[in-house]
Amino acid sequence: MRFFAPFCIPFIIGTAFLFAALAVKWGSWLYHLPRADKKLIGRNFFTLATPKAIWEVIRESLLHARIWRVNSLLGYMHTSLAFGWFLLILVGWIETTAYVGLRWVPLQGHVFFKYFAASAHLGHKPVFDFLMDLLLLFVLSGVAWAVAKRIVHRFMGMRRTTRHIVWDKLALSVLWFIFPIRLIAESITCAVHGGGGFLTGSIGTWLAGWVPRSTLYALYEPAWWVYSICLGLFFIAMPFSRYMHIFTEIPLIFLRQYKLRSGKKITSYDNFQVEACSRCGICIDPCQIQTDLGVNDIQSTYFLRDRRYHRLELSVLNNCFMCGRCEQVCPVGINLNTLRQNSRDKMRNVPNEKRYEYFTSVPVEKNSAQSKIGYFTGCMTHLTPGMKQAMERIFTATGESVWWADREGGVCCGRPLLLSGETDSARKMIDFNTRLIRESGITTLVTSCAICLKVFRDEYHLTGVELLHHSEYIERLLVKGSLKPARANDESFTYHDPCELGRGCGIYDAPRAVIASVGVLVEPEQTREMSLCCGSSLANTVIDDGQQLRVSRSAVDTLTATGAKTIVTACPLCKKALARGTSHNIRVKDLAEIVAERL
Amino acid sequence: MEVERMKSQKNHTREVVVVGGGVAGMQAAIRLAEQGVRVTLIEKKHELGGHIRSWYHLFPSFTPAQEVYDALHERFASHDIELITSAEATEINPTSVTLADGRVLHTKAVIIATGFEIFDARRKEEYGYGLYDHVYTSADLELLLHEGEAGEGLAGALGFTPRRIALLHCVGSRDEKVCQPHCSKVCCITGVKQAIELKKRFPDAEIFNFYMDIRMFGPGYEEMYREAQQKYNIHFIRGRISEASPTFDGRLQIKAEDTLTGRPLRMSVDMFVLLIGMQAGPNFGLPHADSGFLEPQDLFLGNVVAPAQAGTLGGLFYAGTVSAPKAIGESLNEGIAAADAAAAYIKQK
Ligand SMILES: Cc1cc2nc3c(=O)[nH]c(=O)nc-3n(C[C@H](O)[C@H](O)[C@H](O)COP(=O)(O)OP(=O)(O)OC[C@H]3O[C@@H](n4cnc5c(N)ncnc54)[C@H](O)[C@@H]3O)c2cc1C
Ligand code: SF4
Ligand code: SF4
Ligand code: SF4
Repeated sequence: MRFFAPFCIPFIIGTAFLFAALAVKWGSWLYHLPRADKKLIGRNFFTLATPKAIWEVIRESLLHARIWRVNSLLGYMHTSLAFGWFLLILVGWIETTAYVGLRWVPLQGHVFFKYFAASAHLGHKPVFDFLMDLLLLFVLSGVAWAVAKRIVHRFMGMRRTTRHIVWDKLALSVLWFIFPIRLIAESITCAVHGGGGFLTGSIGTWLAGWVPRSTLYALYEPAWWVYSICLGLFFIAMPFSRYMHIFTEIPLIFLRQYKLRSGKKITSYDNFQVEACSRCGICIDPCQIQTDLGVNDIQSTYFLRDRRYHRLELSVLNNCFMCGRCEQVCPVGINLNTLRQNSRDKMRNVPNEKRYEYFTSVPVEKNSAQSKIGYFTGCMTHLTPGMKQAMERIFTATGESVWWADREGGVCCGRPLLLSGETDSARKMIDFNTRLIRESGITTLVTSCAICLKVFRDEYHLTGVELLHHSEYIERLLVKGSLKPARANDESFTYHDPCELGRGCGIYDAPRAVIASVGVLVEPEQTREMSLCCGSSLANTVIDDGQQLRVSRSAVDTLTATGAKTIVTACPLCKKALARGTSHNIRVKDLAEIVAERL
Repeated sequence: MEVERMKSQKNHTREVVVVGGGVAGMQAAIRLAEQGVRVTLIEKKHELGGHIRSWYHLFPSFTPAQEVYDALHERFASHDIELITSAEATEINPTSVTLADGRVLHTKAVIIATGFEIFDARRKEEYGYGLYDHVYTSADLELLLHEGEAGEGLAGALGFTPRRIALLHCVGSRDEKVCQPHCSKVCCITGVKQAIELKKRFPDAEIFNFYMDIRMFGPGYEEMYREAQQKYNIHFIRGRISEASPTFDGRLQIKAEDTLTGRPLRMSVDMFVLLIGMQAGPNFGLPHADSGFLEPQDLFLGNVVAPAQAGTLGGLFYAGTVSAPKAIGESLNEGIAAADAAAAYIKQK
């Protein structure tokens, strides 16, 4: 039996092109990986990481478990398309084997098996006819959802979907046609040759009854041609379109299991992350730059798209709070913040040596009391002296001797520069402070700034020094009993999770425990992992003051909707930002302040 | 204290209601009464005068504010004006004014002269107002100067004799970070005036004014600024103070950048005065600028007239600082202008 017909040619060309493109892409990305990354792959290949990755591929690339969690309608759409198509291929292969036995059959033989089986009068196997029809229906339902999503996206519980580029549109339109056309081609085949399951078989019988036989014959081959052309076109468009994600997510999952990570400088591994974005658009809705400011070309899906096609503009790159709300929901688990950061590094890292001149004039405090605990105020807390005073009062109340690393002002922690991509300049500050802290001999460093904490934990090498946010430190003091604030059972507080503290450092519970010890905590609607950004993030260098204020006001609105008269936060920047957006009768306080007030 | 006077007009329909009994509102009411218009003045507080009641000596002539008020009040009292004090207007329409206690006053026209509010300096937390000792606002200093008239003088009122004093311009003005984009206009000259007052009382003290720009817009202001430098040896430094923090010996350390020489600057002072700006009060749902001050029809011939709104044509007028920061003289003039416009309006109706 020969598995070839002229209509297979477009399909064969498309597939060959796709495989070649994949080989080139994967090959060069892997080849260009940094040596350390290659070593990681080598070291982790024969470990549990590999089976774990295989399981994750099944769960995510086929079943799309994470999308289900975000939005079940969207989950169904992805699963029906991906898993349905996969099963069609798998069951199709089994079907072929059932008919012709275990032998090599070229790819087009499997894909167009119905055509070849019918032409060769192979007889019918109703079980497979039924199964294949069922799967086709499953996929077709997914296509129907996809079409519906384009037309009425609200219907899918999404306020916005991604706007696409030309390659995407081509691939998308062809994709919509592939399965309906397959249905038509198979049905006509059934009409001519009989057989088929509940779907193709029934339509075939119906066609045979209503359409003249000559017409059916005339349509028979062309229908298979169209199907083949659609497949071929889709495969050719695929490597250039968002559908590249189908094949990129798989290696990404493996590499991630092998512990490869993106960093502050762009590496080849980033390619896997960038092209694994399916442009599903799930990241658009949580973005406050979209909801509060109506700007909708900067969200992660657009950022990754622009970066991928080398047309990234600073106005898109820098218009982002790096609040991490989108990263939180991205079903592919792409490290969106890190990628943005290293794009910024690439596009604007221009170290300015003049910047460090002030290092020499910074008053360096000696730890003459040999304190074991240090406190890093940070630039922002210097601008919110209420917090500084509160910390001072707390330290005094515990009787602990504390070394103030920067009482009279010091060198910035480096995080603001890192966020804006000035990686190398930031390094100088990090080095300065690292030396300062190491030489002081402290074993615990407390900071009341979430921004400082984030960079201390991520970038400073301070083994032997425990790095604590003041929320954690105060919580410990409360547990130990060395702080005994008076609790007001009738006073309610609401809490704003700073992005850098919550999503940034994973600290959600300590601040809540501290609030609970002085009053009643009422949670706003969007909280913890999905808490809002205050709008003044240092990472956004594009929006103006008025826009910051709009974001802050809407964050304040969700907080005050709880009815609490005091908004508590745990970051000096958030405190300032929220205070701007607040009306007179609402207080905005730092965690330390509400504790110190009650000592 | 004012006594609530409900005069013979009770039974007549009111012709004009003036909301706000500061200098602008008082002047408007006087002018209307002079023209025989039946006018009612509503004041939120229990007495008239508005902000000038809290000021000491006025720029640029050092005239005691009390003198200006007394003269104005004397004229006010000589006219037949219905006065309702301790009454806050909550809703304003061209033909009616609703008070907080639910009373509704019907009228033919309304002049809004609700003035300004002073900026709450605690919102610029970095300057430590309310947190550290020896940080004052310019409004506090006016009261202290009052207190210092008796007893031990200003040093007595302060409780110490300052040796070095810093005054900071533009606190809560020209500052988008606190949503006050506008220039408050009078604080530069207030800063010069207060620096001179301080120098007169503490001749040995060094006095520094930190500014972004010096705005001397009125008659005699520039001369006073020059005198401050030449005669009183007050130092003017161009640069905004970024933060203040207490030192171990109970003084304050301030950090700034001298933007003329481009050098960072630290200095210990024992008195820190924040020249707070004017902030807009409630806008009653009327068109207003970003700063919150009400926007008149135009800035030339219609500068005391509210913009014609959908449905209503005319009947609302503005006087004084409700529409932008102004000095007393300008506010008084607007009182007259608004009164004349309102009188013409009700006559033609
Ligand atoms: C620190 C400082 C010093 C100053 N020194 C000088 C100076 O030396 N010389 C000078 O020329 N200018 C000075 N000024 C400016 C001066 O204070 C103003 O020009 C003047 O007070 C404006 O008067 P006004 O009537 O417009 O407003 P206001 O004085 O604010 O009066 C408004 C009145 O309306 C009342 N009101 C408000 N809302 C309502 C309501 N809803 N219902 C009823 N009543 C209401 C208020 O209680 C108030 O009595 C100074 C300003 C400041 C901030
Ligand atoms: S970044 Fe993630 S959430 Fe956003 S479009 Fe890409 S895959 Fe979807
Ligand atoms: S990090 Fe925040 S601001 Fe930036 S794109 Fe994501 S959701 Fe929007
Ligand atoms: S008058 Fe002077 S101090 Fe006041 S806001 Fe304007 S520039 Fe600043």
